[in-house]
Amino acid sequence: MNAVADKYADQEIGSIFLYTHEAHPGENYLHLTSMEQKFEHARALRDVYGVTRPILLDALDGACHRAYGSMPNMSWIFNRAGMPVYKSDWTDSLSVDYAIRYLLEVGERRSDGQRMAPFNVERMDYRVQDREDFYKGLERNGPKAVREFDEAF
Amino acid sequence: MDSDLIQRYNYDEFVPEKFGPWMRFLESPAVGQKGPDFPLWDLEENETSLSAIWSQNAYTIVEFGSFT
Repeated sequence: MNAVADKYADQEIGSIFLYTHEAHPGENYLHLTSMEQKFEHARALRDVYGVTRPILLDALDGACHRAYGSMPNMSWIFNRAGMPVYKSDWTDSLSVDYAIRYLLEVGERRSDGQRMAPFNVERMDYRVQDREDFYKGLERNGPKAVREFDEAF
Repeated sequence: MDSDLIQRYNYDEFVPEKFGPWMRFLESPAVGQKGPDFPLWDLEENETSLSAIWSQNAYTIVEFGSFT
C-alpha cells in the first residue's frame, strides 16, 4: 500500500493508515488500555513494518473504526466531499490501485467533455493469501497470538 | 468514555466470541453518501479529523489496521 500511495501522490491522491485496535494481541503487543500505549504501538507499526504513509489514530473506543464496519484490515476511498467511492472489507493493493486508476480516468473523461453519471457496482475481488508472512506477524506479536489464531480456525 | 465498550472493543484474546461482534462491514456506510466524521490523532499526538484528511485531496485512501 505504500507503493500505491507513492504512485499517485502527485495526482491529488492522499493516503493514510488509520490505527484501530489490536486484532491479534500477544505477549509482545498487548490489547490496548490507553492512548499512550496506542501511540507506542502505532510508532512500532511505522518503524517495524515500514509504513511510510501518515498514521492517524482512532479514539481508544474505536469510534471511527466501529462506524465504518470495524473490520481488521479494510480499505476505503473518500472523495474530497467525504463521500466513500470505494470500500473493501479487506485490503488488497491491486484492488485499490485499480479503483484509483478508474477514478482518475473518470476525471479525464469529464475533462474531455463526456457527461458522467454515478452508479453502484458490487464486485468480488481476490487477494493473495500469504500464510507464511501472516504467521511471521503473529509470531512477532507473541506465542499467544499464534495459539489463539490456530484455535480459532 | 464508556469503559465497558473500550474493554470489549480492545479485546484481550482472539476468540470468536470477542472478535466476532466487531465484524460489521455489512452495516457500514454506503458508498455514494457522505461518511461520518471523527477526530483522529497523528503520531505527534496532534488532534485532527477524518474530514480534515479527506478534504486535502481529490481522493484519499484510508487503510484501517494495527500492528497485530
